[in-house]
Amino acid sequence: MNTPLLEVENLHVKYGNIEALHGISFTVGEGEIVTLIGANGAGKSTTLMAVAQLPPPEAPKITGGDIRFRGQSILGMAPDRIVADLHLALVPEGRHIFGNLTVEENLKLATYARKDGVNELNRDYKRVYQLFPRLNERRKQRSESLSGGEQQMLAVGRALMSGCRFIMLDEPSMGLAPLLMYDMFRTLKELNEEGMTILLIEQNANLALKFAHRGYVIDTGEIVAHGPCASLMENPEVKKAYLGG
Amino acid sequence: MDFIIQNILNALQWGSFYALIALGYTLVYGVLRLINFAHGDIFMVGAYIAFFLATTMLGPSFGLSPFMTFVIAVPLTMALTACVGVTLERIAYRPLRRKGAHRLYVVITALMCGLILEYGNLAVLGASRLKFPDLIEKSIWSVGDVTMTNLKVIVIVAAVVVFIFLNFIVTKTKIGMAMRGISYDKFAIPLMGIPIDSIIVFTFILGSGFAGLAGLLFAMSYPILEPFMGMIIGWKAFIAAVVGGIGDIRGAFYGGFLLGFIEVGVVTVFPSTYRDLFAFSILLLILWIKPTGLFGMPQSTKI
Ligand SMILES: Nc1ncnc2c1ncn2[C@@H]1O[C@H](COP(=O)(O)OP(=O)(O)OP(=O)(O)O)[C@@H](O)[C@H]1O
Ligand SMILES: [Mg+2]
Repeated sequence: MNTPLLEVENLHVKYGNIEALHGISFTVGEGEIVTLIGANGAGKSTTLMAVAQLPPPEAPKITGGDIRFRGQSILGMAPDRIVADLHLALVPEGRHIFGNLTVEENLKLATYARKDGVNELNRDYKRVYQLFPRLNERRKQRSESLSGGEQQMLAVGRALMSGCRFIMLDEPSMGLAPLLMYDMFRTLKELNEEGMTILLIEQNANLALKFAHRGYVIDTGEIVAHGPCASLMENPEVKKAYLGG
Repeated sequence: MDFIIQNILNALQWGSFYALIALGYTLVYGVLRLINFAHGDIFMVGAYIAFFLATTMLGPSFGLSPFMTFVIAVPLTMALTACVGVTLERIAYRPLRRKGAHRLYVVITALMCGLILEYGNLAVLGASRLKFPDLIEKSIWSVGDVTMTNLKVIVIVAAVVVFIFLNFIVTKTKIGMAMRGISYDKFAIPLMGIPIDSIIVFTFILGSGFAGLAGLLFAMSYPILEPFMGMIIGWKAFIAAVVGGIGDIRGAFYGGFLLGFIEVGVVTVFPSTYRDLFAFSILLLILWIKPTGLFGMPQSTKI
């Protein structure tokens, strides 16, 4: 079997002196959609921030294990190089858009490290505005004044503008009305069909397991179950704890 | 009438100095939320750098004309002063940032760096004052009773050009957008593929470079240099930046010019010993009415 795109092996991380992940391991293959599900405080966001190599104190400190991308360890790599060189983007929990910049400026800023020419960039802008027409209508608007759902679209759009081939999404449906939520997932599916690898965190475990190929269940910093989504949905433990019976 | 115009010109000149220095406070604050108390002393270092460049270039080994010396000294002074600012960032502020030090310690470090620059200068060069050489031939234009020196015009034009340039950088370029972005949400900057440290270094280059320019122009206008020359003017520029709304580059300019006008205005009415008392009282009143400064918006956007 080929080496997976992303391998996390026996990862331990701490916030201060408190260990938040106690040796978790998982893989994401190229072109796959993988989901991490788990209760509040299980360590899902922590895992994604560790993979993105974000610095403490907001993100955790990695104290053991390894994270490999195409077989190479990425521990100690600068977070901006993860985006620029590995084309691995994170849409963080809580969006973190630049509220004092316009929609257009937010998207432009995400292209900071790209070396592509104007044609490629324009193609990507067009694509993002096509995927999220609301952003197009609000191009010149200060992004602070967008609705929560629109801000979420901007956060995803911004990740796409960074030129990513692998996107990690931390609760992208947060604050979205049901209809918009389905739109968002349809959009993500479309991106996946074009070759985008996706690692997804989603509160709605039902939705996540229907959408993804494989899943990992994480509980207080440990992986407690994993497998293809179909089998996880049949797993009585998972059913009881996360799928509402 | 002539009297008024004359005073307006003087106010514009002093306002230009304050504005050029206030910029550095505001840029660094906008990006790092750090009040760089060493900034007034970077201005002083800029004046000394200009002095050594000028005397060297005028001296026998180069023998350049005063005008050529001026032309070369402007970019060189800015570049070298920028290096000093960046060095300070590297050796003093960055290590603290890495360790996640509390803001108070960073501010105290800045204060100490300023003192080290002052007393380092005193230790190395002694207490004697230096006389800055004449670089441009002073031409004085008189219209009625109004006199205007070319140097004053250069100072005012420099401030305006710097303002337009900075406005362009901050609103139109990606690095300027990144500077604004950091001030809003530092966490997300690396997620955009942007190395935070390079944006911070760029900010220090801009702020210190313009302080260097101010140091050179100030030394040409008031050609006596001493190690503590940056202290009071630095404090004043800092206050101007706060009154204008710290973190906003327009604020630095309006605050700087406002202070220039208040000072000159006070002196036309009262004895000059009252100048600073009145000037600071008026600024205090402005802050009392609008605590965020003229352009400051509570919390959100900076730069
Ligand atoms: N910056 C931080 N400092 C200290 N502890 C933190 C920090 N961020 C998270 N934690 C702790 O780490 C653990 C895992 O948090 P994490 O945010 O990864 O959970 P999560 O699975 O994403 O939860 P949710 O579904 O609520 O988003 C929690 O116990 C949390 O209290
Ligand atoms: Mg979370």
